[in-house]
Amino acid sequence: MISVSTTRRARRGMVREWRLHALSVFSLAVAFVCLGASLLVVANLRVVEQRWAHAGRASVYLKDGATQDEVDALRLALARVPGVTGVHYVSSGDARAQFGQTQLEANAALAGLPVEAFPASIELDVTPDLPDADLADMVGKMKQLPAVDDVETYQAWTERLARLVRGGVAASGLLALVVLAAVLAVVGSTMRMALQRRKTEVEVLKLVGATDGFVKKPFVVEGSVQGALGAVGAVGLLAVLFVVVRGRLDGELAALVGVEPTFLPWPVVIGMIALGGMLGAIASLASLRKLVAV
Amino acid sequence: MARMDQPDRFRRMLRAGGARFSREAAQRPILTFEEVFKSYREGAPVLRGMNLVIERGEFVFVTGPSGSGKSTLLRMLYRAEAVDDGRILFLGRDVARLRDDAVPFLRRNIGVVFQDFKLVTSWSVYENVAIVLEVLGLPQRLIRARVGEALERVGLAGRGEDPAGVLSGGEQQRVAIARAIVGEPALLLADEPTGNLDPQLAIDILGLFEEINESGTTVLFATHDRTLLEVRARRVVVLDEGKAIDVPNGIATDEYDNRLPL
Repeated sequence: MISVSTTRRARRGMVREWRLHALSVFSLAVAFVCLGASLLVVANLRVVEQRWAHAGRASVYLKDGATQDEVDALRLALARVPGVTGVHYVSSGDARAQFGQTQLEANAALAGLPVEAFPASIELDVTPDLPDADLADMVGKMKQLPAVDDVETYQAWTERLARLVRGGVAASGLLALVVLAAVLAVVGSTMRMALQRRKTEVEVLKLVGATDGFVKKPFVVEGSVQGALGAVGAVGLLAVLFVVVRGRLDGELAALVGVEPTFLPWPVVIGMIALGGMLGAIASLASLRKLVAV
Repeated sequence: MARMDQPDRFRRMLRAGGARFSREAAQRPILTFEEVFKSYREGAPVLRGMNLVIERGEFVFVTGPSGSGKSTLLRMLYRAEAVDDGRILFLGRDVARLRDDAVPFLRRNIGVVFQDFKLVTSWSVYENVAIVLEVLGLPQRLIRARVGEALERVGLAGRGEDPAGVLSGGEQQRVAIARAIVGEPALLLADEPTGNLDPQLAIDILGLFEEINESGTTVLFATHDRTLLEVRARRVVVLDEGKAIDVPNGIATDEYDNRLPL
Protein backbone atom coordinates (compact mmCIF):
# COMPACT_ATOMS: atom_id res chain seq x y z
CA MET A 1 0.00 0.00 0.00
CA ILE A 2 1.30 3.51 -0.83
CA SER A 3 1.06 5.87 2.11
CA VAL A 4 0.93 9.67 2.11
CA SER A 5 4.52 9.67 3.36
CA THR A 6 5.64 7.45 0.48
CA THR A 7 3.92 9.66 -2.08
CA ARG A 8 5.38 12.80 -0.57
CA ARG A 9 8.90 11.40 -0.44
CA ALA A 10 8.60 10.13 -4.02
CA ARG A 11 7.34 13.51 -5.21
CA ARG A 12 10.10 15.29 -3.33
CA GLY A 13 12.69 12.99 -4.87
CA MET A 14 11.36 13.52 -8.38
CA VAL A 15 11.15 17.30 -8.01
CA ARG A 16 14.67 17.58 -6.58
CA GLU A 17 16.16 15.23 -9.17
CA TRP A 18 13.94 16.39 -12.04
CA ARG A 19 16.73 16.57 -14.61
CA LEU A 20 17.74 12.98 -13.95
CA HIS A 21 14.14 11.82 -14.12
CA ALA A 22 13.36 13.85 -17.26
CA LEU A 23 16.33 12.27 -19.04
CA SER A 24 15.15 8.85 -17.98
CA VAL A 25 11.58 9.51 -19.14
CA PHE A 26 12.86 10.72 -22.53
CA SER A 27 14.98 7.58 -22.97
CA LEU A 28 12.02 5.39 -22.07
CA ALA A 29 9.75 7.32 -24.46
CA VAL A 30 12.16 6.58 -27.33
CA ALA A 31 12.06 2.88 -26.48
CA PHE A 32 8.28 2.90 -26.22
CA VAL A 33 7.92 4.73 -29.56
CA CYS A 34 9.48 1.70 -31.28
CA LEU A 35 7.00 -0.62 -29.61
CA GLY A 36 4.08 1.76 -30.19
CA ALA A 37 4.92 2.21 -33.89
CA SER A 38 5.04 -1.52 -34.35
CA LEU A 39 1.69 -1.92 -32.59
CA LEU A 40 0.24 0.87 -34.73
CA VAL A 41 1.24 -0.95 -37.93
CA VAL A 42 -0.17 -4.22 -36.59
CA ALA A 43 -3.43 -2.55 -35.55
CA ASN A 44 -3.93 -1.06 -39.02
CA LEU A 45 -3.00 -4.30 -40.80
CA ARG A 46 -5.52 -6.10 -38.65
CA VAL A 47 -8.22 -3.60 -39.61
CA VAL A 48 -7.40 -4.14 -43.30
CA GLU A 49 -7.39 -7.90 -42.83
CA GLN A 50 -10.76 -7.83 -41.11
CA ARG A 51 -12.16 -5.50 -43.75
CA TRP A 52 -11.04 -7.81 -46.56
CA ALA A 53 -11.92 -11.00 -44.73
CA HIS A 54 -15.48 -9.76 -44.47
CA ALA A 55 -15.60 -8.00 -47.78
CA GLY A 56 -18.52 -10.20 -48.77
CA ARG A 57 -17.56 -10.00 -52.44
CA ALA A 58 -16.43 -12.29 -55.22
CA SER A 59 -15.65 -11.60 -58.89
CA VAL A 60 -16.58 -14.15 -61.55
CA TYR A 61 -14.48 -13.37 -64.64
CA LEU A 62 -16.06 -14.41 -67.90
CA LYS A 63 -14.38 -15.91 -70.95
CA ASP A 64 -13.97 -13.59 -73.94
CA GLY A 65 -16.32 -15.71 -76.03
CA ALA A 66 -19.16 -15.83 -73.52
CA THR A 67 -22.50 -14.97 -75.18
CA GLN A 68 -25.10 -12.68 -73.69
CA ASP A 69 -27.45 -15.67 -73.25
CA GLU A 70 -24.81 -17.54 -71.27
CA VAL A 71 -24.19 -14.47 -69.14
CA ASP A 72 -27.90 -13.99 -68.45
CA ALA A 73 -28.36 -17.66 -67.56
CA LEU A 74 -25.34 -17.48 -65.26
CA ARG A 75 -26.68 -14.35 -63.53
CA LEU A 76 -30.01 -16.02 -62.88
CA ALA A 77 -28.36 -19.18 -61.59
CA LEU A 78 -26.01 -17.28 -59.29
CA ALA A 79 -28.84 -15.17 -57.86
CA ARG A 80 -30.47 -18.37 -56.62
CA VAL A 81 -27.34 -19.66 -54.84
CA PRO A 82 -27.74 -19.56 -51.00
CA GLY A 83 -25.50 -16.86 -49.48
CA VAL A 84 -25.43 -14.69 -52.60
CA THR A 85 -27.21 -11.40 -51.93
CA GLY A 86 -26.45 -9.46 -55.09
CA VAL A 87 -25.39 -10.07 -58.70
CA HIS A 88 -24.02 -7.28 -60.92
CA TYR A 89 -22.75 -7.65 -64.49
CA VAL A 90 -19.68 -5.53 -65.40
CA SER A 91 -18.88 -5.47 -69.11
CA SER A 92 -15.35 -4.97 -70.50
CA GLY A 93 -16.23 -1.39 -71.30
CA ASP A 94 -17.54 -0.73 -67.79
CA ALA A 95 -14.41 -2.31 -66.27
CA ARG A 96 -12.15 -0.13 -68.39
CA ALA A 97 -14.15 2.97 -67.47
CA GLN A 98 -13.94 2.15 -63.71
CA PHE A 99 -10.23 1.49 -63.92
CA GLY A 100 -9.73 4.73 -65.81
CA GLN A 101 -11.45 6.73 -63.06
CA THR A 102 -9.03 5.60 -60.43
CA GLN A 103 -5.74 4.92 -62.17
CA LEU A 104 -5.38 6.21 -65.69
CA GLU A 105 -5.37 9.85 -64.72
CA ALA A 106 -2.16 9.17 -62.85
CA ASN A 107 -0.57 7.09 -65.57
CA ALA A 108 -1.25 8.18 -69.07
CA ALA A 109 0.80 5.29 -70.47
CA LEU A 110 -2.02 2.90 -69.50
CA ALA A 111 -4.60 4.97 -71.35
CA GLY A 112 -3.91 3.19 -74.59
CA LEU A 113 -4.86 -0.26 -73.34
CA PRO A 114 -7.53 -1.93 -75.53
CA VAL A 115 -10.93 -2.65 -74.07
CA GLU A 116 -10.22 -6.41 -74.37
CA ALA A 117 -7.59 -6.06 -71.68
CA PHE A 118 -10.40 -5.69 -69.16
CA PRO A 119 -12.40 -8.94 -68.90
CA ALA A 120 -16.14 -8.79 -68.32
CA SER A 121 -17.21 -10.10 -64.94
CA ILE A 122 -20.13 -10.78 -62.67
CA GLU A 123 -19.64 -9.18 -59.26
CA LEU A 124 -21.28 -11.11 -56.44
CA ASP A 125 -22.28 -9.81 -53.03
CA VAL A 126 -22.18 -12.64 -50.53
CA THR A 127 -23.17 -12.61 -46.89
CA PRO A 128 -20.13 -11.74 -44.70
CA ASP A 129 -20.80 -14.69 -42.40
CA LEU A 130 -20.70 -17.22 -45.25
CA PRO A 131 -18.37 -20.02 -44.10
CA ASP A 132 -15.06 -20.32 -46.01
CA ALA A 133 -15.85 -23.96 -46.90
CA ASP A 134 -19.19 -23.01 -48.51
CA LEU A 135 -17.51 -20.19 -50.43
CA ALA A 136 -14.77 -22.53 -51.65
CA ASP A 137 -17.41 -25.09 -52.71
CA MET A 138 -19.34 -22.42 -54.59
CA VAL A 139 -16.16 -21.21 -56.33
CA GLY A 140 -15.31 -24.79 -57.35
CA LYS A 141 -18.72 -25.29 -58.95
CA MET A 142 -18.62 -21.94 -60.74
CA LYS A 143 -15.24 -22.71 -62.28
CA GLN A 144 -16.80 -25.76 -63.99
CA LEU A 145 -19.23 -23.58 -65.93
CA PRO A 146 -18.34 -23.08 -69.63
CA ALA A 147 -18.65 -19.27 -69.61
CA VAL A 148 -16.49 -18.78 -66.50
CA ASP A 149 -12.76 -18.10 -66.87
CA ASP A 150 -11.80 -17.55 -63.20
CA VAL A 151 -13.26 -16.67 -59.80
CA GLU A 152 -11.58 -14.26 -57.37
CA THR A 153 -12.72 -14.27 -53.71
CA TYR A 154 -9.88 -12.17 -52.21
CA GLN A 155 -9.20 -15.01 -49.77
CA ALA A 156 -5.57 -15.25 -50.90
CA TRP A 157 -5.10 -11.56 -50.08
CA THR A 158 -6.70 -12.06 -46.71
CA GLU A 159 -4.35 -14.94 -45.96
CA ARG A 160 -1.33 -12.88 -47.01
CA LEU A 161 -2.47 -10.06 -44.78
CA ALA A 162 -3.04 -12.50 -41.92
CA ARG A 163 0.55 -13.71 -42.33
CA LEU A 164 1.73 -10.10 -42.35
CA VAL A 165 -0.21 -9.40 -39.16
CA ARG A 166 1.27 -12.49 -37.50
CA GLY A 167 4.74 -11.31 -38.50
CA GLY A 168 3.94 -7.87 -37.11
CA VAL A 169 2.76 -9.35 -33.83
CA ALA A 170 5.97 -11.39 -33.58
CA ALA A 171 8.03 -8.26 -34.34
CA SER A 172 6.07 -6.39 -31.67
CA GLY A 173 6.82 -9.18 -29.21
CA LEU A 174 10.54 -8.84 -29.94
CA LEU A 175 10.32 -5.07 -29.61
CA ALA A 176 8.52 -5.53 -26.29
CA LEU A 177 11.55 -7.50 -25.11
CA VAL A 178 13.83 -4.69 -26.30
CA VAL A 179 11.64 -2.21 -24.43
CA LEU A 180 11.78 -4.43 -21.35
CA ALA A 181 15.58 -4.42 -21.49
CA ALA A 182 15.63 -0.66 -22.07
CA VAL A 183 13.32 0.01 -19.13
CA LEU A 184 15.35 -2.26 -16.85
CA ALA A 185 18.59 -0.57 -17.89
CA VAL A 186 17.37 3.03 -17.86
CA VAL A 187 15.23 2.91 -14.71
CA GLY A 188 17.80 0.73 -12.94
CA SER A 189 20.61 3.19 -13.70
CA THR A 190 18.46 6.17 -12.74
CA MET A 191 17.50 4.58 -9.45
CA ARG A 192 21.07 3.65 -8.62
CA MET A 193 22.13 7.24 -9.32
CA ALA A 194 19.23 8.59 -7.26
CA LEU A 195 20.12 6.20 -4.46
CA GLN A 196 23.73 7.36 -4.55
CA ARG A 197 22.67 11.00 -4.41
CA ARG A 198 20.26 10.26 -1.58
CA LYS A 199 22.64 8.01 0.34
CA THR A 200 22.39 10.14 3.48
CA GLU A 201 18.61 10.03 3.29
CA VAL A 202 18.63 6.24 3.11
CA GLU A 203 21.19 6.04 5.91
CA VAL A 204 19.09 8.31 8.13
CA LEU A 205 15.93 6.35 7.38
CA LYS A 206 17.56 3.10 8.38
CA LEU A 207 19.02 4.63 11.52
CA VAL A 208 15.63 5.85 12.72
CA GLY A 209 14.13 2.39 12.29
CA ALA A 210 12.69 2.36 8.77
CA THR A 211 12.18 -1.08 7.31
CA ASP A 212 13.65 -1.89 3.89
CA GLY A 213 10.13 -1.69 2.47
CA PHE A 214 9.65 1.83 3.82
CA VAL A 215 12.98 2.91 2.30
CA LYS A 216 12.32 1.29 -1.07
CA LYS A 217 8.71 2.35 -1.66
CA PRO A 218 9.35 5.93 -2.88
CA PHE A 219 12.03 4.68 -5.28
CA VAL A 220 9.61 2.07 -6.63
CA VAL A 221 6.93 4.74 -7.06
CA GLU A 222 9.46 6.95 -8.86
CA GLY A 223 10.45 4.09 -11.18
CA SER A 224 6.82 3.33 -11.88
CA VAL A 225 6.02 6.96 -12.67
CA GLN A 226 9.05 7.16 -14.94
CA GLY A 227 7.95 4.06 -16.87
CA ALA A 228 4.37 5.28 -17.20
CA LEU A 229 5.44 8.79 -18.24
CA GLY A 230 7.81 7.29 -20.81
CA ALA A 231 4.89 5.35 -22.31
CA VAL A 232 2.63 8.43 -22.21
CA GLY A 233 5.33 10.45 -23.97
CA ALA A 234 5.67 7.74 -26.62
CA VAL A 235 1.91 7.63 -27.22
CA GLY A 236 1.82 11.43 -27.50
CA LEU A 237 4.70 11.45 -29.97
CA LEU A 238 3.08 8.69 -32.03
CA ALA A 239 -0.22 10.55 -32.04
CA VAL A 240 1.45 13.66 -33.45
CA LEU A 241 3.29 11.60 -36.09
CA PHE A 242 0.07 9.76 -36.92
CA VAL A 243 -1.86 12.99 -37.48
CA VAL A 244 0.91 14.37 -39.71
CA VAL A 245 1.24 11.18 -41.79
CA ARG A 246 -2.52 10.64 -42.06
CA GLY A 247 -2.96 14.18 -43.35
CA ARG A 248 -0.64 13.38 -46.25
CA LEU A 249 -1.68 9.81 -47.09
CA ASP A 250 -5.29 9.54 -46.05
CA GLY A 251 -7.00 9.63 -49.46
CA GLU A 252 -4.52 7.42 -51.30
CA LEU A 253 -4.32 4.87 -48.50
CA ALA A 254 -8.08 4.63 -48.11
CA ALA A 255 -8.55 4.13 -51.86
CA LEU A 256 -5.81 1.51 -51.96
CA VAL A 257 -6.85 -0.72 -49.08
CA GLY A 258 -10.46 0.26 -48.59
CA VAL A 259 -10.09 1.45 -44.99
CA GLU A 260 -8.96 4.61 -43.24
CA PRO A 261 -5.86 4.44 -41.02
CA THR A 262 -6.65 4.24 -37.32
CA PHE A 263 -4.63 5.14 -34.23
CA LEU A 264 -3.84 2.68 -31.45
CA PRO A 265 -7.02 1.43 -29.75
CA TRP A 266 -7.58 2.69 -26.19
CA PRO A 267 -6.97 -0.72 -24.58
CA VAL A 268 -3.54 -0.84 -26.28
CA VAL A 269 -2.72 2.71 -25.14
CA ILE A 270 -3.76 1.95 -21.56
CA GLY A 271 -1.91 -1.37 -21.73
CA MET A 272 1.30 0.38 -22.87
CA ILE A 273 1.10 2.89 -20.01
CA ALA A 274 0.36 0.13 -17.49
CA LEU A 275 3.25 -1.91 -18.91
CA GLY A 276 5.53 1.11 -18.53
CA GLY A 277 4.48 1.63 -14.93
CA MET A 278 4.84 -2.03 -14.06
CA LEU A 279 8.24 -2.42 -15.73
CA GLY A 280 9.47 0.77 -14.07
CA ALA A 281 8.46 -0.52 -10.65
CA ILE A 282 10.09 -3.92 -11.28
CA ALA A 283 13.29 -2.34 -12.60
CA SER A 284 13.41 -0.05 -9.59
CA LEU A 285 12.92 -2.92 -7.16
CA ALA A 286 15.59 -4.97 -8.90
CA SER A 287 18.11 -2.14 -8.67
CA LEU A 288 17.43 -1.59 -4.95
CA ARG A 289 18.13 -5.14 -3.84
CA LYS A 290 21.27 -4.03 -2.05
CA LEU A 291 20.43 -1.04 0.07
CA VAL A 292 23.00 1.03 1.89
CA ALA A 293 24.14 -1.11 4.80
CA VAL A 294 23.96 0.74 8.11
CA MET B 1 -0.22 14.61 25.25
CA ALA B 2 -0.02 10.91 25.94
CA ARG B 3 3.50 9.62 25.86
CA MET B 4 3.99 6.78 23.41
CA ASP B 5 5.11 3.69 25.20
CA GLN B 6 7.99 2.85 22.89
CA PRO B 7 9.63 0.24 25.17
CA ASP B 8 6.33 -1.62 25.30
CA ARG B 9 6.07 -1.46 21.53
CA PHE B 10 9.57 -2.91 21.27
CA ARG B 11 8.76 -5.59 23.79
CA ARG B 12 5.60 -6.52 21.92
CA MET B 13 7.65 -6.94 18.78
CA LEU B 14 10.20 -9.06 20.58
CA ARG B 15 7.46 -11.14 22.13
CA ALA B 16 6.27 -11.99 18.65
CA GLY B 17 9.54 -13.89 18.32
CA GLY B 18 8.37 -16.36 20.95
CA ALA B 19 9.54 -14.95 24.29
CA ARG B 20 7.06 -13.58 26.80
CA PHE B 21 7.35 -10.15 28.39
CA SER B 22 7.43 -10.12 32.19
CA ARG B 23 7.27 -7.26 34.70
CA GLU B 24 10.38 -8.69 36.35
CA ALA B 25 12.26 -8.17 33.10
CA ALA B 26 11.11 -4.54 33.03
CA GLN B 27 12.91 -3.91 36.33
CA ARG B 28 16.27 -5.06 34.97
CA PRO B 29 18.98 -2.55 33.94
CA ILE B 30 18.29 -0.86 30.62
CA LEU B 31 21.68 -1.98 29.28
CA THR B 32 23.94 -4.83 30.22
CA PHE B 33 27.17 -5.73 28.46
CA GLU B 34 28.36 -9.24 29.32
CA GLU B 35 31.81 -10.36 28.17
CA VAL B 36 31.50 -8.47 24.88
CA PHE B 37 34.19 -9.09 22.30
CA LYS B 38 34.63 -7.13 19.09
CA SER B 39 37.48 -7.20 16.66
CA TYR B 40 37.97 -5.68 13.22
CA ARG B 41 41.35 -7.31 12.63
CA GLU B 42 42.58 -10.65 13.81
CA GLY B 43 44.77 -10.29 16.90
CA ALA B 44 43.74 -6.68 17.55
CA PRO B 45 40.43 -6.73 19.41
CA VAL B 46 38.74 -3.41 20.17
CA LEU B 47 36.67 -4.81 23.01
CA ARG B 48 37.85 -7.86 24.94
CA GLY B 49 35.36 -9.25 27.38
CA MET B 50 33.85 -5.90 28.31
CA ASN B 51 31.31 -5.84 31.13
CA LEU B 52 29.10 -2.89 31.95
CA VAL B 53 25.70 -2.27 33.49
CA ILE B 54 23.67 0.91 32.95
CA GLU B 55 20.51 1.55 34.91
CA ARG B 56 17.38 3.26 33.65
CA GLY B 57 17.50 7.05 33.69
CA GLU B 58 21.29 7.28 34.04
CA PHE B 59 23.50 9.81 32.28
CA VAL B 60 26.81 8.15 31.47
CA PHE B 61 29.85 9.56 29.73
CA VAL B 62 31.78 7.04 27.65
CA THR B 63 35.31 8.13 27.04
CA GLY B 64 38.74 6.85 26.13
CA PRO B 65 41.54 7.53 23.67
CA SER B 66 41.01 7.37 19.92
CA GLY B 67 40.46 3.80 18.77
CA SER B 68 39.45 2.63 22.23
CA GLY B 69 36.06 1.49 20.95
CA LYS B 70 33.67 4.28 22.01
CA SER B 71 31.92 4.48 18.65
CA THR B 72 32.08 0.70 18.23
CA LEU B 73 30.31 0.24 21.54
CA LEU B 74 27.50 2.58 20.49
CA ARG B 75 27.26 1.13 16.97
CA MET B 76 26.86 -2.37 18.40
CA LEU B 77 23.96 -1.10 20.47
CA TYR B 78 21.89 -0.09 17.45
CA ARG B 79 23.22 -3.04 15.45
CA ALA B 80 25.28 -1.12 12.94
CA GLU B 81 28.05 -3.49 14.03
CA ALA B 82 27.78 -7.15 14.89
CA VAL B 83 28.99 -8.49 18.23
CA ASP B 84 31.70 -11.15 17.89
CA ASP B 85 30.98 -12.72 21.25
CA GLY B 86 29.15 -11.99 24.48
CA ARG B 87 25.74 -10.44 25.10
CA ILE B 88 24.32 -6.92 24.99
CA LEU B 89 21.00 -6.85 26.76
CA PHE B 90 18.75 -3.89 25.96
CA LEU B 91 15.50 -3.93 27.93
CA GLY B 92 16.29 -7.53 28.79
CA ARG B 93 16.72 -8.72 25.21
CA ASP B 94 19.98 -9.68 23.55
CA VAL B 95 20.61 -7.15 20.78
CA ALA B 96 23.35 -9.31 19.28
CA ARG B 97 20.91 -12.10 18.57
CA LEU B 98 18.02 -10.14 17.14
CA ARG B 99 16.86 -11.23 13.72
CA ASP B 100 17.66 -8.78 10.92
CA ASP B 101 14.00 -7.97 10.41
CA ALA B 102 13.74 -6.97 14.10
CA VAL B 103 16.59 -4.43 13.90
CA PRO B 104 14.38 -1.53 12.65
CA PHE B 105 12.14 -2.02 15.69
CA LEU B 106 15.19 -1.95 17.99
CA ARG B 107 16.28 1.33 16.40
CA ARG B 108 12.88 2.90 16.99
CA ASN B 109 13.66 2.64 20.70
CA ILE B 110 17.09 4.24 20.44
CA GLY B 111 17.83 7.84 19.48
CA VAL B 112 21.26 8.46 18.01
CA VAL B 113 23.13 11.78 17.64
CA PHE B 114 26.31 11.92 15.58
CA GLN B 115 29.31 14.20 15.42
CA ASP B 116 28.56 14.97 11.75
CA PHE B 117 24.83 15.43 12.51
CA LYS B 118 23.69 13.13 9.68
CA LEU B 119 20.95 15.47 8.52
CA VAL B 120 19.46 15.42 5.03
CA THR B 121 20.54 18.92 4.09
CA SER B 122 18.07 19.23 1.21
CA TRP B 123 15.18 18.65 3.61
CA SER B 124 13.68 21.24 5.90
CA VAL B 125 14.23 21.14 9.65
CA TYR B 126 10.67 19.86 10.06
CA GLU B 127 11.15 17.08 7.51
CA ASN B 128 14.37 15.92 9.18
CA VAL B 129 12.61 15.53 12.51
CA ALA B 130 9.24 14.32 11.25
CA ILE B 131 10.70 11.35 9.38
CA VAL B 132 11.09 9.45 12.67
CA LEU B 133 7.36 9.64 13.30
CA GLU B 134 6.50 8.92 9.66
CA VAL B 135 8.44 5.68 10.00
CA LEU B 136 6.23 4.87 12.98
CA GLY B 137 3.17 5.55 10.82
CA LEU B 138 1.69 8.25 13.04
CA PRO B 139 -1.02 10.53 11.59
CA GLN B 140 0.19 13.87 10.19
CA ARG B 141 -1.71 15.91 12.79
CA LEU B 142 0.09 14.14 15.61
CA ILE B 143 3.42 14.37 13.78
CA ARG B 144 3.07 18.16 13.45
CA ALA B 145 2.35 18.53 17.16
CA ARG B 146 5.19 16.22 18.27
CA VAL B 147 7.75 17.80 15.94
CA GLY B 148 6.74 21.25 17.17
CA GLU B 149 7.32 20.14 20.78
CA ALA B 150 10.69 18.57 19.97
CA LEU B 151 11.91 21.70 18.15
CA GLU B 152 10.81 23.82 21.07
CA ARG B 153 12.77 21.60 23.49
CA VAL B 154 15.98 22.12 21.52
CA GLY B 155 15.41 25.86 21.10
CA LEU B 156 14.42 25.83 17.44
CA ALA B 157 10.74 26.71 17.73
CA GLY B 158 9.48 28.33 14.54
CA ARG B 159 12.46 27.18 12.46
CA GLY B 160 10.70 24.15 10.94
CA GLU B 161 10.53 25.53 7.42
CA ASP B 162 14.23 26.44 7.25
CA PRO B 163 16.36 24.21 5.03
CA ALA B 164 18.60 22.13 7.30
CA GLY B 165 21.60 22.79 5.07
CA VAL B 166 21.71 26.53 5.79
CA LEU B 167 21.78 26.21 9.60
CA SER B 168 24.92 26.72 11.69
CA GLY B 169 26.73 23.71 13.16
CA GLY B 170 25.17 24.23 16.59
CA GLU B 171 21.70 24.55 15.08
CA GLN B 172 22.19 21.46 12.93
CA GLN B 173 23.19 19.50 16.02
CA ARG B 174 20.04 20.72 17.77
CA VAL B 175 17.99 19.45 14.83
CA ALA B 176 19.76 16.10 15.13
CA ILE B 177 18.92 16.02 18.84
CA ALA B 178 15.29 16.88 18.12
CA ARG B 179 15.21 14.01 15.65
CA ALA B 180 16.70 11.68 18.25
CA ILE B 181 14.19 12.56 20.97
CA VAL B 182 10.99 13.12 18.98
CA GLY B 183 10.18 9.41 19.07
CA GLU B 184 10.64 9.43 22.87
CA PRO B 185 13.19 6.63 22.84
CA ALA B 186 14.17 4.68 25.93
CA LEU B 187 17.85 5.28 25.23
CA LEU B 188 19.69 8.22 23.70
CA LEU B 189 23.16 7.62 22.25
CA ALA B 190 25.46 10.52 21.45
CA ASP B 191 28.60 9.75 19.47
CA GLU B 192 30.97 12.71 19.91
CA PRO B 193 28.04 15.13 19.46
CA THR B 194 30.16 18.17 20.33
CA GLY B 195 33.18 17.21 18.24
CA ASN B 196 32.41 19.79 15.54
CA LEU B 197 31.31 22.58 17.87
CA ASP B 198 33.18 25.35 19.70
CA PRO B 199 33.59 24.95 23.50
CA GLN B 200 30.67 27.19 24.52
CA LEU B 201 28.30 25.50 22.07
CA ALA B 202 29.55 22.15 23.33
CA ILE B 203 28.55 23.07 26.89
CA ASP B 204 25.13 24.23 25.62
CA ILE B 205 24.57 20.97 23.80
CA LEU B 206 25.66 19.00 26.86
CA GLY B 207 23.10 20.96 28.88
CA LEU B 208 20.46 19.99 26.36
CA PHE B 209 21.29 16.29 26.80
CA GLU B 210 21.09 16.74 30.57
CA GLU B 211 17.63 18.28 30.27
CA ILE B 212 16.54 15.33 28.18
CA ASN B 213 18.01 12.97 30.77
CA GLU B 214 16.05 14.73 33.53
CA SER B 215 12.84 13.81 31.72
CA GLY B 216 13.74 10.12 32.23
CA THR B 217 15.64 9.19 29.08
CA THR B 218 18.85 7.20 29.61
CA VAL B 219 21.77 8.94 27.91
CA LEU B 220 25.10 7.47 26.77
CA PHE B 221 27.37 10.33 25.79
CA ALA B 222 30.59 9.31 24.06
CA THR B 223 33.28 11.99 24.04
CA HIS B 224 37.01 12.43 24.25
CA ASP B 225 36.60 16.07 25.28
CA ARG B 226 38.07 16.15 28.77
CA THR B 227 36.65 19.61 29.52
CA LEU B 228 33.12 18.27 29.22
CA LEU B 229 33.94 15.47 31.66
CA GLU B 230 35.39 17.92 34.11
CA VAL B 231 32.48 20.35 34.17
CA ARG B 232 29.97 17.71 35.23
CA ALA B 233 30.26 15.22 38.08
CA ARG B 234 28.63 12.37 36.21
CA ARG B 235 29.38 8.70 35.90
CA VAL B 236 32.16 8.07 33.42
CA VAL B 237 32.98 4.80 31.69
CA VAL B 238 36.54 4.80 30.41
CA LEU B 239 37.37 2.34 27.66
CA ASP B 240 40.94 1.12 27.73
CA GLU B 241 42.60 -2.01 26.44
CA GLY B 242 39.19 -3.31 25.41
CA LYS B 243 37.77 -3.14 28.95
CA ALA B 244 35.45 -0.69 30.70
CA ILE B 245 36.71 1.16 33.78
CA ASP B 246 33.86 2.62 35.77
CA VAL B 247 34.26 6.01 37.49
CA PRO B 248 30.89 6.32 39.23
CA ASN B 249 31.11 9.94 40.35
CA GLY B 250 33.02 11.36 37.43
CA ILE B 251 36.57 12.55 36.92
CA ALA B 252 35.81 15.98 38.37
CA THR B 253 35.76 14.48 41.86
CA ASP B 254 38.65 13.57 44.13
CA GLU B 255 38.00 9.89 43.41
CA TYR B 256 39.40 10.32 39.96
CA ASP B 257 42.52 8.29 39.54
CA ASN B 258 45.16 10.01 37.45
CA ARG B 259 46.29 6.68 36.13
CA LEU B 260 43.22 6.53 33.89
CA PRO B 261 44.22 6.80 30.23
CA LEU B 262 42.64 10.18 29.44
